[in-house]
Amino acid sequence: MHFVMISGAARTKSKSNTAKILAAFGAGLNSSGNTSETWYLSDRKQWKRAKAAFEENENVLFALPLYVENVPGIMLEFLAGLSAKEQPGTQISFLLQGGFPEVSQGRCCEEFLKMLPAQLGCAYGGTIIKGDMFGLSLMGGRLGAKLLQPFVEAGQQFGKDGYFRPEIMESFSIPEYLSAKQIRIANGPLRYVQRFVMRCIAKKLGCKTRLDARPLSGINSCGM
Amino acid sequence: MRLLIINTLPKDHPMAEKAICYLTEKVAECRVFYTEDMEVVPCIGCNACWLKTPGICAVKDDYEQILRAYLQYDVTVFISDTTLGFVGYKMKNIIDRMLPMATMYTRIENGQTRHVPRYKKEFQFGLLYAGEGNQDYLSHWMSRFCLNFHGISLGAYPIEAWKEAAVCIS
Repeated sequence: MHFVMISGAARTKSKSNTAKILAAFGAGLNSSGNTSETWYLSDRKQWKRAKAAFEENENVLFALPLYVENVPGIMLEFLAGLSAKEQPGTQISFLLQGGFPEVSQGRCCEEFLKMLPAQLGCAYGGTIIKGDMFGLSLMGGRLGAKLLQPFVEAGQQFGKDGYFRPEIMESFSIPEYLSAKQIRIANGPLRYVQRFVMRCIAKKLGCKTRLDARPLSGINSCGM
Repeated sequence: MRLLIINTLPKDHPMAEKAICYLTEKVAECRVFYTEDMEVVPCIGCNACWLKTPGICAVKDDYEQILRAYLQYDVTVFISDTTLGFVGYKMKNIIDRMLPMATMYTRIENGQTRHVPRYKKEFQFGLLYAGEGNQDYLSHWMSRFCLNFHGISLGAYPIEAWKEAAVCIS
């Protein structure tokens, strides 16, 4: 089978977590004897060819970061430019990733994604939701590869079946919510560790103010 | 009450004109942004507003005046077209660009992780939409979107129901 993969991320390919996930997923997909092509909506020069690929192919997968409970505006703009297919046979599936750990954070977007294919004259092939992906951009080497390995395996399964099997979607859906113990830790000691790590990252990026600064109200609580 | 209206529909959209006229008559102070006159590009996901220049968007277009206005007005009403049952992409871009209102820090509230708000303000947001919107979904999405900014959703209404919406907004 041939698959069209479209990244709905606004971030440029080189800095995009979604692009890294798509690369891993594509590797799995192609390892089971399939072929694939990938388009990146962050590069508007690719939109015309991405649209043509959507129109001419029957297996389409969108990968996207969660943006304010739904698809990024840039992806919505692309979707708005597509016409509903008149012939049945096309299936659209989704890979949704976000920074928060709970998979429940992606459910509102998933609801929209479930309704979307029918409006484009297509069938729905399922959505994999993966949380806690913020760190991917900071990880390289083994840690990054470990985080991406489940996507390679999901790609292999998807390549074999042409859709996401329910058990694959469920295996990604962990945790739906954090446990009471995890919440206690996250709101307790981990909070200070997180803040320290964030401040270190910010400093490396050249940040010269507090991360909770209030520049638009004039109430900038000083010091870092 | 001070009311902020952000309209991504064309200025001469008849229902939007009526709704804006009615809403502005009801409040002490009102400001309307017509985004067709403005340059507002999509969020590029650079995270600068969280990690490099906290609270300041790295994209230099006309959006910063909207960000400032969120803080100056009590209630914000979005007026949007619809795409595939959801808000149009122009409105989604406006909302995606709200990230500087939150900080990078997180904490867990009511069982889910949330970004810690940057400003001490209880936002109130409402949505009027034109076209074939899915009201149930849009209302649900508004409540979720508001949770992320520690705000209150005033609901999502078809623009034809602007009088009904005005009651909820005021």
